[in-house]
Amino acid sequence: MHTKKMLQSLQEIVGKEFVTTDRFATFAYSEDASNFGGTHAAGVVRPGSTEEVALILSLANRQRIPVVVRGGGASIYGQPKGIPGHNLLLDMTRMNNVKEINPQSMTVTAQAGIIMSKLELACRKEGFYIFTPFVPNHIVSLGGWMSGVAGSAGLWKDIISMTVVLADGTVVTTGGGPGTNRHQPLVYNRTLGGPDFTGLFTGDGGSFGIKTEATVRIRKYPPFVRAGIMEFATLGNVLAMMERHVQRDTSFPFDALLVFGAGAMENFAVGTEGVKAFTVQRMAMGYSSDELDCRLAAFHADAQELGGTSNPALEAMAVAMEASTGTEGDPGMDWMALFNGFGRAAWLPFTLPREGFADVYHQLLAWREERMRAADERGYRCNATWEFFTVSDQSTIIGEMDVFFEETHEPGLQAYARDLMRDFQEYAHRLGSIDVYNQGFMADLNATCWSPGFKGLFQTVKTSLDPNNILNPGLWSDLKKDPER
Amino acid sequence: MIAMGRNVMKELEKVRRYIYNCRKCGVCSGKVTSKVPYVCPVKESTAGFDHFSSRGKTVIAQGLLEGAISPSAELAEVIYSCTLCGNCMTQCGSINQDTGEALVDTTKIVEAMRADFLQNHPKWIDPAYRSILSSTRQYNNPWGLSRTEKEKWAKKMKIKNAQKEPSPVLLFVGCTMASSQELSSRPRKAAEIMSTANVDFAILGKDEPCCGSVQKRIGDVPLAREMMEENINLFNSLGCEAIVTLCAGCANMLKNDYRESKEKLKPRVLHIVEFLPKLIQERKLQLREKHSLKATYHDPCHIGRHMGIYDQPRAILNALPGVDLIERYATKENTICCGAGGGMRIFESGSLAEKIGHAALKSAMQVGAKALVTACPFCEMNLDAASRSLNNQIPVYDIIDMVYEALQ
Repeated sequence: MHTKKMLQSLQEIVGKEFVTTDRFATFAYSEDASNFGGTHAAGVVRPGSTEEVALILSLANRQRIPVVVRGGGASIYGQPKGIPGHNLLLDMTRMNNVKEINPQSMTVTAQAGIIMSKLELACRKEGFYIFTPFVPNHIVSLGGWMSGVAGSAGLWKDIISMTVVLADGTVVTTGGGPGTNRHQPLVYNRTLGGPDFTGLFTGDGGSFGIKTEATVRIRKYPPFVRAGIMEFATLGNVLAMMERHVQRDTSFPFDALLVFGAGAMENFAVGTEGVKAFTVQRMAMGYSSDELDCRLAAFHADAQELGGTSNPALEAMAVAMEASTGTEGDPGMDWMALFNGFGRAAWLPFTLPREGFADVYHQLLAWREERMRAADERGYRCNATWEFFTVSDQSTIIGEMDVFFEETHEPGLQAYARDLMRDFQEYAHRLGSIDVYNQGFMADLNATCWSPGFKGLFQTVKTSLDPNNILNPGLWSDLKKDPER
Repeated sequence: MIAMGRNVMKELEKVRRYIYNCRKCGVCSGKVTSKVPYVCPVKESTAGFDHFSSRGKTVIAQGLLEGAISPSAELAEVIYSCTLCGNCMTQCGSINQDTGEALVDTTKIVEAMRADFLQNHPKWIDPAYRSILSSTRQYNNPWGLSRTEKEKWAKKMKIKNAQKEPSPVLLFVGCTMASSQELSSRPRKAAEIMSTANVDFAILGKDEPCCGSVQKRIGDVPLAREMMEENINLFNSLGCEAIVTLCAGCANMLKNDYRESKEKLKPRVLHIVEFLPKLIQERKLQLREKHSLKATYHDPCHIGRHMGIYDQPRAILNALPGVDLIERYATKENTICCGAGGGMRIFESGSLAEKIGHAALKSAMQVGAKALVTACPFCEMNLDAASRSLNNQIPVYDIIDMVYEALQ
């Protein structure tokens, strides 16, 4: 990377001001939102267009320079490590423009470096929204979300098309529309005209190509929000509520049933002190008040039948939730930043089949309790814990059982939290969890669980698209731990 | 203390809690809402690398503490590329629930880095900053003003001298307000406003010391501390009940930074925008309509985000007949800095500050404002310079001008 000629070539591509090799400048990218850290790069470049990315990759491919991509730096499991000290890091956040909102086709096209809240705000100004319920929206970029999260956690069905630069600089546009069909000027349907290559690049961790643009489905913003909260004494009854919930067919993408673990609520919501049970929250958005009243009434009826109870504190909380979610059309809250005041977070997410969930859930909780005792013995005090889960589709439950440590202002705590996350995931994976995060450590862990056939397919695709292995090298490749290898 | 080769990051060590409290999530860098078009004016107006943002600077500070990176002349330049506006802290929003203190105080992190660099590597610091410090040592003000220049504005005015005739109110003019002919009309106007309202006040004239704000912001902690201690002794000896400042930087320094001193400042500290509403309410000032004007108010960071003064200047402007006060999208605690904060008028010869100033002016024009009103000489100077380079499309006024005009 450190040749004068290379530096000069990069400067010619993007302009002198958008390339740096200063040590402090590259060091600034060595941390991100995770406890796992960012990337140690030899140089950072901020491209402004797909064409510039294509020229950069073409150059890097010829020189065999590892390229690592960064959007908002919002990962939970760390940035791709590449080859530390040799990487060329592409900071994509300069590519942050909304290119078109098409109210007729109900699509938005934007550059991949855009932070989601900026994209969301642009859509809401036109009366639309993008379905991104679990996005840390002030932090993550569109490209980061599409690449680093498997299926983009709900967004994936709504991604219609991606523009991707392959390792050799070739630019491809997936999905229906002009990228697939040269006679069709509109980007409006992903699954027509050939195999679903958009899916190929979704959740790839940036290993198959660099996303520079995407077209995403938008929906008319629903003007009404309603919330209801009930408490349940047992996990069995909670799961019965979930079963009823997923048996219904809904036309709303966000039709959430959010569950907080026993006693979790009182750690985080003022006025809910003394709520020791599981709480199940029904959040519903819709286009008429009557419709929502009916849906909430059905929720309360089901809950009461299954042993759910309510109390004034929870009712007040529901009203507060309606108000905070609001319909003013401003993506104000960011779930990740919301926890910044709670101390050093060890995020412990899981994704499990609904079938057999209860048993694994209890095992994971017991594992966490044991580790919390060990942490305490080492002098790491716990500020709070919480458990949260929700259905992500008919068969899957996605959730977290996070821990927040009192900050010690020493690097040791970050390392401890990182180890806790790593150990938890290794344990959870042995119990069948497959997490949605295809980033850093988690991508490596997922890869150790691949079947031989899947692994072979991955390697074939990777070798075809990136024969010199310059794109995020190392990601997915921690195969040494794989007992089958 | 962590040694950095031959260097010691003494001041940075004192703020390590802020560095480790930071989760590096980047909300300080990426947040966008209808009221927050962007967070960091410096990142927005430069090439946008992470080291221009709050997160990047905090990562660098951590690297310096842990010995992962070394100080350099280039890095010295970077740590001065911050307006200290504090918008990153506001948008981060992490506060200690018991004390209300910011969990990640970026302004303190940046000031500490500046202090350590200035202490350990003075030659790497822009000579213009060093010149401010030598002026302070020589003249007791950052701009090299002689003692007579500091009281020039009060010539031919019969104003009490606080050291000779004790008064309940000390009008503290500030060095910057006295530094140019244009700005020095403000203390005169402020004094006339106070006289009109029969306020019993006094000034220090040629003996008015510098508050130490500029010196602290650019990193000379020992000098600022020395000034602070001397000033507290002086102010406490005057027997006044309140100090009314005309400069936002002085107000923030006297009210907030002086709390760090062992000796406590006895008089209350008020910026003039906090002092005037009561006079208007009590009808001690008869305000008349001079001309109708659709104006918007630019919250100076020092008295806005750092002191929480938002309503009082708006109350003043709303009381002025003919003034139609409108708000920009990013206003009050979300206001984007004018560009002059943290010594940025000096950084890159003021070009970056001016670029940031353009954004402030454009945001005012975007909502249809015909004038931008502020309450800080640094804001005014920078916005005025930015306005000139935009062919004076929107004039910039100090709030004192507006009140003074309405009294004529």
